[in-house]
Amino acid sequence: MDPIFASIEQTPFSIWMREDLYAYFIALIFHSIGMALLIGGGIVVSLRAIGVAGATRFDKFRGFFPVMWVGVVMAIVSGIALLIGYPAKALTNPVFALKFTCLIGAAFLVRAMARRLFPLAEQGMALPTWGRSLGVAALVLWLSGVAAGKLLLHTYTILLVS
Amino acid sequence: MDPIFDPIAIEQWATDVGIFGMMNTKWGWPIAEIIHFYGLCLLIGAVGMFDLRMMGVARGVTMKELHRLVPFGIAGYLMCATTGFLFVVTAPGQYIYNPAMQMKIMLMAIAGANMAMFYATASAGVNAAGADEAPPVRARVIGAVSLSCWLLVIVFGRLVTFFRPPEYWCLWCAPG
Repeated sequence: MDPIFASIEQTPFSIWMREDLYAYFIALIFHSIGMALLIGGGIVVSLRAIGVAGATRFDKFRGFFPVMWVGVVMAIVSGIALLIGYPAKALTNPVFALKFTCLIGAAFLVRAMARRLFPLAEQGMALPTWGRSLGVAALVLWLSGVAAGKLLLHTYTILLVS
Repeated sequence: MDPIFDPIAIEQWATDVGIFGMMNTKWGWPIAEIIHFYGLCLLIGAVGMFDLRMMGVARGVTMKELHRLVPFGIAGYLMCATTGFLFVVTAPGQYIYNPAMQMKIMLMAIAGANMAMFYATASAGVNAAGADEAPPVRARVIGAVSLSCWLLVIVFGRLVTFFRPPEYWCLWCAPG
């Protein structure tokens, strides 16, 4: 895979991401804000599933989804730009895969909550016990995704360009 | 020469009490970074989403109920403050003179004053508001200021590594 990563790293956009004074930092800032909005919203929804702020109907938390979507778009667009800057550094690091697995897993669990638990809440029914487990699992995955993201800087082993 | 701070003395103190050694183990700094980001996530998750609700997002969720998440935000703040202290005393020269760090501290102070303003002037109205009611204008402004401050804290936190060497940016240091 290294030749593919090396060829990506020689594209004008990749070089610009690494060598421009502001490009990498701007992408990093957008990525951080996007992740904050996504994971911030995810944590609130997960905490509600666990039982915090239990007097508010769970389905009303749907209102935070647009904010999370804004976060997703910001995180993905900026994440792709960061990835193009250093593809070998990220894609040869297993922790990168762990980060993605955790965040996609957490997002799927939130989707499952919206599909299965929101209709129950709309009918005024109490959330089942497994709903609380879903919330705990989502919270663990959100936080694991954050931890994996921070560990990327300390765990990479291949750096073709700097 | 810095007439206010003595980075060498601060680092010496961190060494004497064991913080410098702990932070410079293989996993000391990364673990502190992870805890710092968990704190930020809790802050944005609890306080940031409460701010958004005050700004009118997620109508249907009562602000009084959402306010129950604030202790998570406080826990997040304490996690950030504790790990931030560890970063600063371990590498004081990298942080004290850094304009991004100075902006970050200033924004945190504004967010703190804004929070005091909320509890002094808007908290009662917000707690009394119904689930679908529009928040009072004062609460909307306080929410917007708070969310802006916390997002900018993240921005300037990321910019800390942009301003290097930080000593170059010391505005109060005498030349030489």
